[in-house]
Amino acid sequence: MVKRLLFLCLCYAFGLTNAILHAQSDTGFDKYHSNREIQQILNNFPSATTKLHRVAESPGGKPITILEIGANLTDVPAIFVGANFEGNVPLASEGALYLAKMLLDSTKYTNKLKWYVMPQPNPDAAEAYFSALKTGSCLNSFNVNNDADELSGEDGPDDLNGDGMITQMRVKSLEGDYQVSKYDVRLLEKANSKKGERGIYKVYTEGFDNDKDGKYNEDGPGGINVGIAFPHLFPYEDKNAGLFAGQTPEVYGIMRFIYDRPEISMVYTLGTSNFCLVPPKGGRKGDANLDKIKIPSRYARRLNADATKTYTMKEAIALFEAIVPAGTEVTPSMVAGYLNLGAVVNPLDEDLVFYKKYAEDYKNYLKTNNFSTETLEPEAAKDGSFELWAYYHLGLPSFSMRLFAIPTAPADDDTETDEKTAKKAKQEAKDELNKKDKALLAYIDKELDGKGFVPWTKVEHPDFENVEVGGYVPYLETTPKPVAIDSLLKTQLPWLLRLSQQLPTFKFENEKITAMGGGIYKIELFVANNGALAHPIAMGQRNSQPAPLVLTLDGEIDFLEGKKRTPVGAIGANQVKKYTWLIKSNKSKKLSVTLESATFTDVVKQIKIGG
Amino acid sequence: MVQKIYTLLLLLGIALSSFAGNNPKIEVPLRFDHYYDYEDVVKALEVLHEAYPELTKLESIGESEEGLKIYALTINNKKTGHEHDKPGVWLDGNIHGNEIQAGEVCLYYANMLLTKYGENKKITEAVDRNVHYIIPVINVDGRSHFFKDGHTPSSSRSLRVPKDDDGDGLFDEDAPDDLDGDGSICQMRIKDENGQYKADPEDPRIMVRVKPGEKGEYTLLGSEGIDNDGDGRFNEDAEGYLDPNRNWGYHWMPPYVQRGAGNFPLSGLGIKAVDEFAAKHPNIIINFSFHNTGGMWLRVPADKSTQIPAADIAAYDVVGKEALKITPGYVYMPSHELYPTYGDSDGQMFFVHGSYSFVGELFMRSQETYKEKSDKPGTAKSTENDRSERSREQLKFNDNVVQGELYKEWKSYNHPVYGEIEIGGWVKMSSRLPHPFMLPDLVHRNASVVLLAANETPEVEIDVFDTIELGNKLQRVRVRLKNKNGLSTMTAQAVKDKLYTIDHLKVTGAKVIAGGKINNYRLNQVSYKEHKPEIQFFALQGHATAEYEFIVECKGTLKLEYVSQKAGTTSKTIQL
Repeated sequence: MVKRLLFLCLCYAFGLTNAILHAQSDTGFDKYHSNREIQQILNNFPSATTKLHRVAESPGGKPITILEIGANLTDVPAIFVGANFEGNVPLASEGALYLAKMLLDSTKYTNKLKWYVMPQPNPDAAEAYFSALKTGSCLNSFNVNNDADELSGEDGPDDLNGDGMITQMRVKSLEGDYQVSKYDVRLLEKANSKKGERGIYKVYTEGFDNDKDGKYNEDGPGGINVGIAFPHLFPYEDKNAGLFAGQTPEVYGIMRFIYDRPEISMVYTLGTSNFCLVPPKGGRKGDANLDKIKIPSRYARRLNADATKTYTMKEAIALFEAIVPAGTEVTPSMVAGYLNLGAVVNPLDEDLVFYKKYAEDYKNYLKTNNFSTETLEPEAAKDGSFELWAYYHLGLPSFSMRLFAIPTAPADDDTETDEKTAKKAKQEAKDELNKKDKALLAYIDKELDGKGFVPWTKVEHPDFENVEVGGYVPYLETTPKPVAIDSLLKTQLPWLLRLSQQLPTFKFENEKITAMGGGIYKIELFVANNGALAHPIAMGQRNSQPAPLVLTLDGEIDFLEGKKRTPVGAIGANQVKKYTWLIKSNKSKKLSVTLESATFTDVVKQIKIGG
Repeated sequence: MVQKIYTLLLLLGIALSSFAGNNPKIEVPLRFDHYYDYEDVVKALEVLHEAYPELTKLESIGESEEGLKIYALTINNKKTGHEHDKPGVWLDGNIHGNEIQAGEVCLYYANMLLTKYGENKKITEAVDRNVHYIIPVINVDGRSHFFKDGHTPSSSRSLRVPKDDDGDGLFDEDAPDDLDGDGSICQMRIKDENGQYKADPEDPRIMVRVKPGEKGEYTLLGSEGIDNDGDGRFNEDAEGYLDPNRNWGYHWMPPYVQRGAGNFPLSGLGIKAVDEFAAKHPNIIINFSFHNTGGMWLRVPADKSTQIPAADIAAYDVVGKEALKITPGYVYMPSHELYPTYGDSDGQMFFVHGSYSFVGELFMRSQETYKEKSDKPGTAKSTENDRSERSREQLKFNDNVVQGELYKEWKSYNHPVYGEIEIGGWVKMSSRLPHPFMLPDLVHRNASVVLLAANETPEVEIDVFDTIELGNKLQRVRVRLKNKNGLSTMTAQAVKDKLYTIDHLKVTGAKVIAGGKINNYRLNQVSYKEHKPEIQFFALQGHATAEYEFIVECKGTLKLEYVSQKAGTTSKTIQL
């Protein structure tokens, strides 16, 4: 009897433990969370060390919330994490929540570092994923009249085949541009008249001409795409960005929040680009040529320069050094700014060094974790995007991560020699569309059971006789099946934790005090940056945006050479800089030296003179 | 005894009047022989509104960084229509805190419109046909501090947003100091045999560079001040620096590209409030933003790589070229010819709000002359000698035309670091500001330019010039629309950018079978619109005519409406 009871108890205990274990491993990351669910999760984080900030309200009336982890900390650097700016990458929002949870599950990355996590900057657009009709829209509810007719938002897409998704429609037309693809009957390709091909289809987004103006779906509901509405390379020609950066309240509120917090030292973006894996791209036209500097005539006189000549940066610096007060550090940034040399539009070479290094390290990390990088190239960061703005305007290390990418089709294998690879790359560039379609279709057939492509099916349409609806489903390239979420996040996100340990850390490495006699002392201090990143990085040096590091020497002394406050200027990774003072003090005393920073933790040291 | 009482009363009177200070009572009609500080501007707006409650609305549209209210006065005659059905005229001033006479220009214009309403035909028309939005002071903190604290004619320009200009980790810690407490930041000089400067032989107030080998007399020490933060530099980190006219959204560039731009577009609280106010009134078709100095009317584009359509340049020219005759000596040009800028108000108003925007740089110092009238044209002052000549002339103007009020004579001062120095130079209320005796002329002429522009805001007429029966119960109706004035109903840039609903002609009341633009009515050449012929989208440039044809079913009353966001709605009804 007792044995039986005991047995039952054991079973119960076992079952209970199992249940507990199951609950512990049930992270809740097995689905995509809606706006409301995300707000709930944020609200449920423990409040001893966290704080929620509401920085804006979207045009649709939804809050933009930032979770502060480490609200109890002061005088520590911070990392800002933003996710899903375009609203159609729900996996990125999940990533932000998962990262927040990882941070709160231990103190390793939060005892000396603050985090600001923003999972949902574009809630109006993000809602589209959870609505009955999936459109893949990036647009918020800001009122934009895209076609400048008498109504706004009157002609959006329509679900002609009632499948709950907006795909494409192809219309049989003598004036068609497209024909069925030779590669796969599901696809359409542009007919090449030079090869004697004649198109038979016109392709539109699925929908009616709601306002009967002859154009289809040209003015849908909304809106502005928060993901392209930031000030760097703001796309003025794209109505979806708004008329100027920050016209939409989400962007304005986010920028104000970030600039109010000079402790932010690094920025992570979860979305469609992947700076962790592929360094930010260059190749844009419009960068100032810093080795052929022309000095505008209105400055030439003051600088004793010839307005008709061009100067190298070194020569220009020399001109400036001749006229600035003694001891002022003249940097390329100062020269470029004073002479209005223009904006930087390509990543600076010195910064690409660390981007490339970390990309290599990340590839190895993923390999070690059996995570395949045989996928389609991540998208380049868009003009007006957050991750580009963070680098070019904040002057901070900006890392982005794309949590899911379509695997390349198995037929394309990569074990080629250099020559062959180059040739293949050329060929592939020509068949660009082909490679992407190949990968998509292979993925759809293998992983989604064909459900990622809606087969072309005839529908009735008031304006056309022969219309079929079909095409790739929305969210296909960025949104894997929910069952895949946890593993993707668990493997990749810890890399961001590792990167957070690369921040500069400062220390007084050594000091030397020499008594010169007569109460005069020579003080030499060595300041070291023991971190893996410079401060500021090259872009930060160029735009002078990051808060300066300043050495202060406090005490009742007279300064013969050197000053009470000395800006440290730029200090490279693993670099040591020496600072010297000549002071006079009648009695022995203790002096306080501080490395002050609005970003990094202040470092204080006591030094003793005399005695 | 009576004599004693009289003397006492006299003394009391003198005492009272000096206690009342230099500023006269603020009442309608306003006076323009003095400058208004921030509180005076607010009072002036209040008395105008109190005197003309039916024609005006006074509201605070936002607050500055230091909590001062930014006021807008709207002048509209409700009896002639709702404000948004009329072409809007916008004036603002003093976005740069030191450019104060812009406030007086705006107050003068409001005063002129209101006090002469019903008496002066042109002014009455402008009040009845247009709506006016007037913001005399945008940079309220700047203006307030300009009056209260010691400044040069150029300082207190910025918004009060702390910035670490010298990269030392401290914010706004070393501004110039008004050492002698006279309300101006002047220049400091010290007697120095090895100095690079000497007194001008004709006017010892002027400092002239010594020639090589020549004996020196003075070293110039810079602007009045001390090294507040002990870093060896003087006055290197004053308020801001955030130039409010580089903080607008359109073509904004970060501070390392455009000095003073602020951290992000519209980061200045007042600038954001003003932009939101403009957005609330999409009927505005012309803007004037007043600044100082130099005598210029500036339009877009602000940088060389931006272009605007020829039709818009033509519209700008309608006002710009006439303005030069009202303010002789001014120049009229695109602002990039002065120097390129990013994030300025002209760009924001033109490209974001779709209106023709001018910056008026008030006051030409060249008017401070001291010579006989001569028909010989003046030569450009370029050599050192010419510059000294000009300085001497300016000082003579100061001495004999304004009784020394613009210049502070060099006076000794004991400086905590330099010891015995002298402080002197042009005072705060000089150089960029006309002496009050020249203010009435300045404010009237510039207000007249605004009124001229108001008269040129678009006005559309509709004339049905031909109707014939076509049989099958159809009629052909031909209509001619004309814009009577010089400014377009919609900027060509706005049409190109699809900025907002394009102006359109709407036909209602009968079914429209076909419709389109008439290219030549005598030859019956019409371009028919494929879809929805009952609504035709087109803007009307200044003094332009457009002809349209409609084929309608003969039934009842036909209504033709030209709907324009900025020119209002014009309609015509005919019986079929």
